[in-house]
Amino acid sequence: MSGIIRTQGAQVGFNDLKLPGMWSRKIGKDLYEIFIGPQHPGSGHMRIVIRVDGDVIVEADPDMGYVHRTMEKLSEVRTWIKGIPLFERMAIHDACNVTLPYVRAVEKLMDIEAPERAKYLRVLLCEINRIAAFLYGFGIFGVFLGHSTMYMWPFGDREVWVELAEWLTGARLTHSYPVFGGVRRDVPAGFTDALRKAIRYMRKRLEDYRKIFVDNPVIRARLEGVGVIPKNLAIELGITGPNLRASGVKYDVRLNHPYEVYDQLDFEIPVFQEGDAYARVWQRVEEIKQSLNILEQVADWLDKHPRTPILHDKFWKTAPPLYKKIFEETGRAKLGAVYAIMKVPAGKAYERAETARGEISYYVESNGGNKPYRIRIHSASARNALVYKYIVPGHRVMDLPAIYGSIDYFPPEADR
Amino acid sequence: MPAKPVSKQVPSRGGIFSKFKGNIEAIAIGVKFFFNPQRFTLIYPKEYIKLKEGYRGFIVLRKDKCINCGSCARICPAAAMRLIRLPFTDPKTGKTRMKLWPVINYNRCIFCGYCVDVCPTEALYHVPYHDVVYETMDVMDLDLEEFQKEPEWDAEKLGLPVKYVVDEKMGLVKVRIKEEGEKQ
Repeated sequence: MSGIIRTQGAQVGFNDLKLPGMWSRKIGKDLYEIFIGPQHPGSGHMRIVIRVDGDVIVEADPDMGYVHRTMEKLSEVRTWIKGIPLFERMAIHDACNVTLPYVRAVEKLMDIEAPERAKYLRVLLCEINRIAAFLYGFGIFGVFLGHSTMYMWPFGDREVWVELAEWLTGARLTHSYPVFGGVRRDVPAGFTDALRKAIRYMRKRLEDYRKIFVDNPVIRARLEGVGVIPKNLAIELGITGPNLRASGVKYDVRLNHPYEVYDQLDFEIPVFQEGDAYARVWQRVEEIKQSLNILEQVADWLDKHPRTPILHDKFWKTAPPLYKKIFEETGRAKLGAVYAIMKVPAGKAYERAETARGEISYYVESNGGNKPYRIRIHSASARNALVYKYIVPGHRVMDLPAIYGSIDYFPPEADR
Repeated sequence: MPAKPVSKQVPSRGGIFSKFKGNIEAIAIGVKFFFNPQRFTLIYPKEYIKLKEGYRGFIVLRKDKCINCGSCARICPAAAMRLIRLPFTDPKTGKTRMKLWPVINYNRCIFCGYCVDVCPTEALYHVPYHDVVYETMDVMDLDLEEFQKEPEWDAEKLGLPVKYVVDEKMGLVKVRIKEEGEKQ
């Protein structure tokens, strides 16, 4: 197999080191340049150009933009509601988290707020998405380290959460769940029971992960002290999310700028001090535990409260009897025709949210028309990508997949 | 009560004994799952998932309910739904005039379900499946007649229905759905 790849590389004439699947060239005495990616030997839709002296990396250059889809520009030629399925494509397995600040920013411009039940439902899907995204990251991380069990297990367990999300919203990944003024569906009957089962299962499962992966001496040896992001560098580069908190910075949007009902829920923000790849793994394990706590509280709240409208009165008050009948029977809140032609008052709004990979922020500007004037998105992965340039040099080539996986970088989210 | 930051530490590395223990634990759990695996692989197409009510699958038009408002085409984020002008004879008055009818292009559809949700008369509905194969891209652009039929679903003919339920011990469990008249 590798022989075939080598001949292909030789045909290109850009393969001094004869590495399988990678381009390389000699640029000095004992100095080689290796192109890792963009077709996946340990990097997703991005390329990391590294310069190696022997086995030690002396320079790393993250090269992003392979999945750039001009989302910000596209949103300017689409009506407001069409932005939701569009921005979802940034991180389809984290769909509710990445679209929520957009919805909230537009709500801010319209001066409306979602009903309380809708807020709880948003938090419900956000946390389901967060757990699923962490498990996805674990799977990728595991396979980067050659630990194929850790690839299969989280992907299998993620299916539990994807299944729940599908039951709630009707789609496995691209849920398009929050809309302006609320959410689209109420919880189906029996959902909270299944959710509680999934929570108990996941708590048990994290112990299995600890035994086979996180506390495994082989994994510890590969991760401890690798890719250390010091606290000052993390702040200087503007890293966000679990990577920032693993470096000892107490910052989480849910803590510092609570949105929806996060200020009414009792949960912890774990903060680790070490800042290495191993601390980042533990950070994610602890965050899954906290997300499970949040989900438990949301399930309790939903059980106690009967079904009430999940769209703001501005849209629900004028809903015809058919809409209300369908909502009573199936929990599906039908959208008024106003959503298709909606005009948003002129103004500027800025909103942020904590996604699985860190803080995402939206700047939304309206000139009073039925389309956005300008939308600027600053996603978590775009901020985290910069870190490779600073922490990879000094490590050996074998540490690169460990660092790449531990940052949990997601190219489509960064490139937008 | 708001969230509170809590400082945590990774477990200490320990000595040679804890390394030994860690290795044994990892192997033990591997062996445990080797003999008692959690498998829920779908043997497709011998089995197919009977999806839950509310799944956003393919979309079908009930022409008798359609009031030609065009909201579905207006809200469609992918421009998959479009309106075509066709003559329509009113059964009451017998007059024929041109009306706008929605048709869908499945090359573009992203199954967001906005069209179904925005339809004021519930003239559109989702069928609970999405595994439909078309031979060419041209036939995925449906005309009005095709749009009123539920797409042909071969999985139902070839396989047995299963569903996935969340289980506390096993995560997801594949459960065979008994058909009517079949012994439990």
